[in-house]
Amino acid sequence: MMLKIKFAIIALLIISTQNVMAQSKTIKGVVTDPSGVPLPGASINVQGTNNSASTDFDGNYALQGVNATDKITYSYVGLTSQTITVGDQTVINIKLAESTQTLNEVVIAYGSQKKDKVTGAISTVNSKDIVAVPITNAESALQGRAAGVTVIAGGSPGSNPTVLIRGLGTLNNNAPLYVIDGVTASNLSGLSPNDIESMSVLKDASTTALYGSQAFNGVIVVTTKKGKKGAGQLNFNTYTGFQTITKRYDVLNTEQYVKFASELGVDIAARAASFGNQTVDYQDEIFQTGLMQDYNLSFSNGTETSSSRYSAEILKQDGAVINTGFERYSFRANNSQKIGKLELGSNIGVSFSKRNAERTGTGRTLLEHAIKAAPYLPIYNADNLGGYQGPSAIDGQDAENPVRIQNLGYAYDKTISILGNIYAEYEIIKGLKFRSQVSLDYSNLEGRSFVPSFRDGSYTGQSFATINRNGANNQTIVFDNSLSYKTTIANKHNIDAILLIEKNENQRGTSVASGTNNITNDVDQLNNSPSTTLSYKTNKLGYVARINYDYDDKYLLAVSGRRDGSSRFGPNNRWGNFYSVAVGWNISKEAFMSDTGFSTLKLRGSIGTTGNDNFADYQYSASLPSNYYYVVNGVSVVGTSLGRAANPDLKWESKLGRNIGLDFGLFDDKFTGTIEYFNNTAKDILFNVPVPTSLGILNDNRYENIAAVNTSGWELSLGYNDRKGEFTWSANLNFGTSKNEVVALAPGVTSVIAGVVPRAGLAQMSRLTVGDPLFYMYGLVTDGIYQNQAEVNAVFTKNPGQTAVKPGDIRFKDLNGDGDITSDDRTNIGNQFPDFTYGLNLSAAYKNFDFNCFISGSKGSKIFNASIFDLQGMTRLFNSSTAVLDRAVIGSNGAVSNPDATLPRALGAPQNTAVSDRYVEDGSFTRLKNITLGYTFKGTALDKYVSKLRLYASAQNLVTWTKYSGLDPEIAGTGFDAGIDLGRYPQPKSVILGLEVSF
Amino acid sequence: MKKILYISIVIAGIISINSCDTRDLDLTNPNELAPDTYFTNELQIQSAVNAAYSNLQTQGLYVRHSFFSLDNMAQDNEGNSQLEQNKRLFLNFTFDSSSDIIETYWGSCYSGIAKANFIIQNQDKINAILESQLSQVRKNKFIAEARFLRAYYYFLLVCRFGDIPLYDKTESVGKGRSPKADVYKLIEEDLDFASKNLLGKSTEDKGRATKEAAFAYLGKVLLYEKKYDEALVAFNNVTGFTLEPNYFDNFTEENEHGVESIFEIEFTAAYTTDASRWGAATSGEGLAEHTFRGQEYGVLDWFNVYPSTQLLNSFEAGDKRYAGSFYSPGDSYSNGTKTMPAAFSNNRAAGWKKYQNYYHRDQENTDSGINFKVMRYADVLLMKAECLALKSAPDFPAAIALITEVRSRAGLTTTIAANKTAVFNAIVHERKVELAGEQVRFDDIIRWGIASTELAGTGFTAGKNELWPIPDREASSNSNIVGQQNPNY
Repeated sequence: MMLKIKFAIIALLIISTQNVMAQSKTIKGVVTDPSGVPLPGASINVQGTNNSASTDFDGNYALQGVNATDKITYSYVGLTSQTITVGDQTVINIKLAESTQTLNEVVIAYGSQKKDKVTGAISTVNSKDIVAVPITNAESALQGRAAGVTVIAGGSPGSNPTVLIRGLGTLNNNAPLYVIDGVTASNLSGLSPNDIESMSVLKDASTTALYGSQAFNGVIVVTTKKGKKGAGQLNFNTYTGFQTITKRYDVLNTEQYVKFASELGVDIAARAASFGNQTVDYQDEIFQTGLMQDYNLSFSNGTETSSSRYSAEILKQDGAVINTGFERYSFRANNSQKIGKLELGSNIGVSFSKRNAERTGTGRTLLEHAIKAAPYLPIYNADNLGGYQGPSAIDGQDAENPVRIQNLGYAYDKTISILGNIYAEYEIIKGLKFRSQVSLDYSNLEGRSFVPSFRDGSYTGQSFATINRNGANNQTIVFDNSLSYKTTIANKHNIDAILLIEKNENQRGTSVASGTNNITNDVDQLNNSPSTTLSYKTNKLGYVARINYDYDDKYLLAVSGRRDGSSRFGPNNRWGNFYSVAVGWNISKEAFMSDTGFSTLKLRGSIGTTGNDNFADYQYSASLPSNYYYVVNGVSVVGTSLGRAANPDLKWESKLGRNIGLDFGLFDDKFTGTIEYFNNTAKDILFNVPVPTSLGILNDNRYENIAAVNTSGWELSLGYNDRKGEFTWSANLNFGTSKNEVVALAPGVTSVIAGVVPRAGLAQMSRLTVGDPLFYMYGLVTDGIYQNQAEVNAVFTKNPGQTAVKPGDIRFKDLNGDGDITSDDRTNIGNQFPDFTYGLNLSAAYKNFDFNCFISGSKGSKIFNASIFDLQGMTRLFNSSTAVLDRAVIGSNGAVSNPDATLPRALGAPQNTAVSDRYVEDGSFTRLKNITLGYTFKGTALDKYVSKLRLYASAQNLVTWTKYSGLDPEIAGTGFDAGIDLGRYPQPKSVILGLEVSF
Repeated sequence: MKKILYISIVIAGIISINSCDTRDLDLTNPNELAPDTYFTNELQIQSAVNAAYSNLQTQGLYVRHSFFSLDNMAQDNEGNSQLEQNKRLFLNFTFDSSSDIIETYWGSCYSGIAKANFIIQNQDKINAILESQLSQVRKNKFIAEARFLRAYYYFLLVCRFGDIPLYDKTESVGKGRSPKADVYKLIEEDLDFASKNLLGKSTEDKGRATKEAAFAYLGKVLLYEKKYDEALVAFNNVTGFTLEPNYFDNFTEENEHGVESIFEIEFTAAYTTDASRWGAATSGEGLAEHTFRGQEYGVLDWFNVYPSTQLLNSFEAGDKRYAGSFYSPGDSYSNGTKTMPAAFSNNRAAGWKKYQNYYHRDQENTDSGINFKVMRYADVLLMKAECLALKSAPDFPAAIALITEVRSRAGLTTTIAANKTAVFNAIVHERKVELAGEQVRFDDIIRWGIASTELAGTGFTAGKNELWPIPDREASSNSNIVGQQNPNY
């Protein structure tokens, strides 16, 4: 019977074909990929016939015997097939769109999933967006593109950005987990953005619980580009540009400074005159216009059974601060090969980088020195050892020469990193696969610094050369064995399940060696110098199970569990269990939705647990450090004593995450959107339980799983894309909020004041209290300036004898009403985390032109501007803001003689510089992160040699709208140092010109 | 059949990865020993003792904050404009319980006490070591060092804070405040044991506590308790010392552990690197073996403070100690190769010379290696004189003789009437000039009860500033201390 039907069909086909032949014509054309690159080997087929052709190497085809009523289907692996009715056309050029299959395939933990079956909260950024902006680190591609993801890049070349997913969830390490081709990593620094196919940000518990005790802060799953099927393609991308920092603080010139100094009781007129009363702009001296260049070459190729991609990149970047820079050479080879039911493959990347970072002098940042330095001091002085000029006692202040700090000698880090895996996958029966993978993440850093002997003034100098070396190596080997099964039962029940065992072995080591050379500056090697080495090891074992089930693509269920053991946990809590459950309903697939215009409408919700094991090794055991030293008989002797008490109960921090989301798409997904709400409760947060200092040794490391934090927020993404003839455009908006609150600290502890700010006066400025946002700034509230003694007396009613606060000092609010101003009058003076963050991405293309504009911003954060603390503090002589010219002056009657003064008197009461709202500013900003205009050459003589040629110009951080007075409102920090601007390396503006060529 | 084979392979693979689990998760720290297996040989004991000394070299104590805070409160110093705020507070007594200087002083002492207790509470383990491997004399000597240091730190604390938590072993829960008398009792017991078991200066390594140091501190502690007769007995055991003929020789690197030296805080610049420069605030960790005093007080360098006018005016004409303690404009320095400028910054009359490196160097830096002679024979002579003058059966001629011994070295003649007031006043003056800038005067004027007159006009509040406030962190984290702040803080 079956045979007969087949025969009949063939017979029919033959007849119809012959029928077509009778009225035939020939159709010609070129088939290209979405970016206009010709596709060799694309197939062209007349629907319902076996009349077909394929394109040649240049994408050309010719199809004979086509009828005007025929429909021709153009197809190519990985791209969306397109069907055209022939009509009276004889030339049909087709640009195939990105496959919705690929676009709608979302990378998740240990696999991928069709977008309409996703039940968790995932944001995806694809290679198109990653390479749209010339970024040097891949994390930056996430900024503003994924709702709820905050990325704060450092301005310093080669620095790793701070990434937060859905705000702060713990008092400790908030860094997400990175998984690159199955290898867990702590950042993406060794990876060229050009090699990334996609990044999936897993935000809710149902998507992250598979990573169990590591997934607490969210997971970023990175997939590198693989070879594409078809004839080999060679791509060359390059760009060159400049970066610069244009904003400056207004500081006093020498004339103003000398006068200011004399009013502070330091007479430096003669000293300034000895340098000709010149004004040196130290900020101009440390900033420069830096050149950046990037060259990327890749080759991709693939057949039915194999694929390969090779790439190499050179990145060279000079910083916007003198003598800072970053160089990276990265190489990657991704291969896979199918042999019957067996697939073998490897993905391996190697990179070498060198980073010259900004240096610090005597605990102050470069920028702090630049704004504080005496403005009459020259940069250079050939009479001084080393050739620089610096401050002496006669200058009455000790801000150092920032050019000398940065330029004398050298300081750099060199890193080698290897990241890769090798795997085998075998299909046992249809749908059932066994996969085994071994992955390696290795890095080795060598830091070197050398400062020759110098003396640039009485304050700064050394009679010997100092030499420092430090090393750090990190090696993670992960073994994965998994069994996955995918099947459909009775056409309706779709099942996708995986069982996995993962073993993770990590070894780290650090070494520090430093010494001096008393006799020469010409030898920068160490000899008989003290050094310290440390080693660490972490072993983890995880068992993972997941089942995704759906009924007819409509009703979705995902259940997962993981059991994790870790050497980091105490013996009493060595194993932890994590689970998640998610459900979804594809409403748009219901019959009653058929004519509503909704192409997508999905409601989904999830709940689950994850853990945070991102803390130091061996914390559960008592320690006995041999790191105490004393001098006996003139030489150093080593001391050993108690360090930390044992805590065998130590375990992971755990989080219960809840997420509910609605996805919608209208008019064939021309307009799409997602609304999401999350509410996460973290408990067992490791908290440095404040134990009395009088206990002596055990006080700084008493970590217990005791605190709790709640984080909740909304996320919204909207997208629109449209095409009118040759004009296509799209707009994507995303928006996220994250509100955090301390739920519990330790029993009996309702507040903790602490800080890690390495600056006297700021050490105690952040606070945690139960029921309030994390790490808010804690200080006094200003209330104008005391104009006369009567006003002072009116506040200090219970402390009339005090003599420190006088007219001209800042009046603080006596919040506790005790008739005195003390540290008890402090309150919450600002929350450093924004109310919401947002990103807007606009793209358009018309004929050969393409345009992209990308804006990101945040609203409602507060910044503690420590530079203002430096510039307007007036506690001792330093160069200061021009604002100090408008400070209170005390007249002969003992009252303020200039009532309009905005700043208090100089050298005033210590309270004036206490942490207060005086230094707190609005950190909201909107930044034009990127604007790009490109032109693709088509139809020129070059077409013979290249398949694609695009030229573009792009600018980063061109405009920033903010009220913040500091140099950069994007301030990193996620702990007690959050929101405190200590004179950080600002993000530069850059302008680049780029070229993309494909052969 | 084939399927079964594959599945068995898979299961075998899974089992093989699984089989090594629990042992692999049990890792020990390769960087450190475990505390419960410690104290098995002499080197381990010695190392634990070394650790207890390391808190003397913290920023909270002699590396940085304590010389400022005590010299500033005593008004031995005045501040230049570059003096940092947290140190300036001590000139005018505006510090409060949030002071980092007070916190680190408290923390450094208690950290040292805990390390000493680690040894003392393990003395059974130490004593269990076979005599053939370690003699009882050596065992006792190590325990005595720990007890000397515990007493030393408690004495620093009791002078600043009065009633304090008292720990005779390491604890995990903070204790409440013990009366001053109990603290003094433990200090006396520790120093008594130390004086009987420590080695003498002639045989002990330079830098370790000695029998003589224990007696000197025992005498000092008893003097502070006004137990003059007992103190005298202790001081009489401090033998074998003479005054340096040249006063300034007490403050040079070359003459460390000289004839006048009884106990020193050890420093050397030999190990300083950029990374170690700042040292630990309280813990004693890190290879930071130097003090900042040279740089901080240095007249040609940071020059944060300078000797106060009233201190300079306290020196009698012809007192050789003036030139031994201070540089004046135009003085020679750097082994006589250089001359101080004709005017110092801000036209200050003098800068500190004591414990400065200028005598042999052009410049200071943050790494001074000059030891602090925190107990020297001149101090003992004057304390002894005080005991002789104030005890119930005073011996004024003997007291005057001791004062005369100290003054003779300074090139001064002595005429003191043989009565209590005259001798006491002579001691007050003599200690001020002899021990200027050596963190002694503030304690002296407090225990003598003359602070409110001596510090009039400085901001000193009687009934409050005799003690420091219990630091915030302790007050907020020790439930047994909550609400027990020192008066008027």
